[in-house]
Amino acid sequence: MMEVSASSVSLREFGCEQTLLSRPDGSASFVQGDTSVMAGVYGPAEVKVSKEIYDRATLEVLIQPKVGLPGVRERSQEQCVRETCEAALLLSLHPRSSLTLILQVLHDDGSLLGCCLNAACMALMDAGLSMSCLFCGVSCAITADGRIITDPTAAQEKESRALMTFAIDSTERRVIMSSTKGSFSVHELQQCIAVSQKASEKIFHFYRDSVRRRYSKNL
Amino acid sequence: MFSSLKEKVGQVLVPGDEFGFEAEDSISLTESAKPERVVCGPGLRRSGDRLVVSKSGVLRHKPPHCFWIESQQRRYIPAKGETVIGIVTAKSGDVFKVDVGSSEQASLSYLAFEGATKRNRPNVQVGDLVFAQFIIANKDMEPELVCIDGSGRANGMGVFGAGGLLFKVSLGLVRRLLAPHSDIRADLDRLFPCELVVGLNGRVWVRSSSTQQTLIVANLLQSCDTMTAAQRQQLFRKVQQGAL
Amino acid sequence: MAAGFKTAEPLEYHRSFLKENCRPDGRELSEFRTTTLNIGSITTADGSALVKMGNTTIICGIKAELANPTVDAPGKGYIVPNVDLPPLCSSRFRPGPPGEQAQAASQFIADVIESSEVIETEDLCIDRGKLCWVLYCDIMCLDYDGNILDAAVVALLAALRNTQLPEVTVNKETSTPEVNFEKRHRLHIHKHPVGTSFCVFDDSVLIVDPTAEEESLSTAQLTVVTDEDDRLCSLHKPGGSSMSGEKLQECINRATARQREIQKLIEKVTHSVTTAQ
Repeated sequence: MMEVSASSVSLREFGCEQTLLSRPDGSASFVQGDTSVMAGVYGPAEVKVSKEIYDRATLEVLIQPKVGLPGVRERSQEQCVRETCEAALLLSLHPRSSLTLILQVLHDDGSLLGCCLNAACMALMDAGLSMSCLFCGVSCAITADGRIITDPTAAQEKESRALMTFAIDSTERRVIMSSTKGSFSVHELQQCIAVSQKASEKIFHFYRDSVRRRYSKNL
Repeated sequence: MFSSLKEKVGQVLVPGDEFGFEAEDSISLTESAKPERVVCGPGLRRSGDRLVVSKSGVLRHKPPHCFWIESQQRRYIPAKGETVIGIVTAKSGDVFKVDVGSSEQASLSYLAFEGATKRNRPNVQVGDLVFAQFIIANKDMEPELVCIDGSGRANGMGVFGAGGLLFKVSLGLVRRLLAPHSDIRADLDRLFPCELVVGLNGRVWVRSSSTQQTLIVANLLQSCDTMTAAQRQQLFRKVQQGAL
Repeated sequence: MAAGFKTAEPLEYHRSFLKENCRPDGRELSEFRTTTLNIGSITTADGSALVKMGNTTIICGIKAELANPTVDAPGKGYIVPNVDLPPLCSSRFRPGPPGEQAQAASQFIADVIESSEVIETEDLCIDRGKLCWVLYCDIMCLDYDGNILDAAVVALLAALRNTQLPEVTVNKETSTPEVNFEKRHRLHIHKHPVGTSFCVFDDSVLIVDPTAEEESLSTAQLTVVTDEDDRLCSLHKPGGSSMSGEKLQECINRATARQREIQKLIEKVTHSVTTAQ
């Protein structure tokens, strides 16, 4: 494993609010710089017979873009978010029921998939669903001269040579999800993973702080 | 494990936090080693020889060795022995289907009422509210409710009378209302006399001497979730002065 | 007996094989199924290829059309990949609009084309801002037995190598394109990206080239795409059980070896096709 100093990892300002919607069973909004995503979770609720799974809950993820209808890109992101959540959630505790996670993009200024993952994790936690671990999303961009930028803005993403998004779990800091664009060497990949693992510590720390803030009223 | 759990009581934990057996837990030579016993409630899960937190919330402890995570949740998941407020949605054969706000409708046999026999059916209509207790509730089976206790008595359960107002609050608030010596209940008592039925599924039913007072109580309770104790007492005082 | 065991406890059935470091079809954990390649199978298409990996069969046809370049990239042509999973290939697919898996696969192929720069889109430009080629790459699954992503990438690459575009000249006076079907030239393939898919069993055992059954029982899947310069074009892991950097390195090493095998196969088949003509 590569050593990465904490100072080399810079993330934009991030913020989060839980339980901001009244209808869903769990909701959260996550803001990273100018990128902002709102998430709502419904469930465990009744499931359609065609989607029923006898030994675990059915998880559905919907990503709504800021403008227009969801397309092929959103479908592929939905798959990534869904399978990441499935890895973290203990779905076998609620067989024959359905969980629905809706992610509404409020503004996209880079690192969108990472922000979606963070919003999803906070919303699932808010809904009180049982999870084996937490997860967070980190995006890294490699610039033309080989520098690694964590949590890039849309402009930085456009100029970059390669862009990677990882989902990192909270217990062992391993990679749950990986989605990449552009070509890069094996060494660059390992470096990006190490940087993301470092960045994930900050995000998990923030998760804990925001949950603590939320429960401060009934301590 | 016991001592490490005890240390964290009252703190906020998130899923993935672990408790393991400490190897250095001193073994005394004189006393025979007592096996440690820990009873895990909601939000704690055993995985191999470790204890893993699976929900975010505050760790609570009840002596001698019960631990659980108190979390704010909205969706109800049936548990055996819990009393809930349900809405009758259908009559099918000899069971009623009851909506309790969980993922599946619960069934309630017409014989599970006080004094009910094959000939003497209870008067329950679709749309009625019932206060009932789970006798079967697990993830693999349809949950089943009854309106009698072990000795066949109603014991407060059954169909609701006319009037009153049903509303939903968070599951955390419900548990705070039902706790012995609940301070919210004490504050409410000082306000007006009212009839209060609290189901563990987050449904609360209130009836008071006038519609206005019923609505005030409902609104107060719904706003309790997001207030600290001091804020709540201030609000209750304001209402008392305004209403009296 | 074995058939009954397999139906009743499929996961346990596979585990008992994996314990012995082999798989129900006799393969080792890091062994691919036999890959066969047929180039130029569809004569009406501008380029085509048929790939079989075990039972998985994928056919790719490329249709070139003339079009106007987009306004924001006047000097470039474009490539439109589409993956189709018809009800024919497996009982899990229903007729109607493409399902999530087909859409995610289409997106994956599009990402691979863009990331690997298999074709410089500048090469597809005929007259800057006025005329360019559009390559419609239709990838269809005929038999679904797992690992369609790898097979689709191989089929696409072979079909692109097989593609011959007719020469186009723009008539200066009428400014209409004139197509000379007699004179055709091949596309310039810059890179040879090849995908290698893995499945993780019980969060620990890594197997390569999974069948449909293994895919459905696995706890995670991932696909690594590498080119001949050992650069990674994609590390696609949609989720599932978590993996450490070391474990991923193992996958990448296997993927680079696989890239060599496939490139050799494509060279061989293309060579035999050209000598036969």
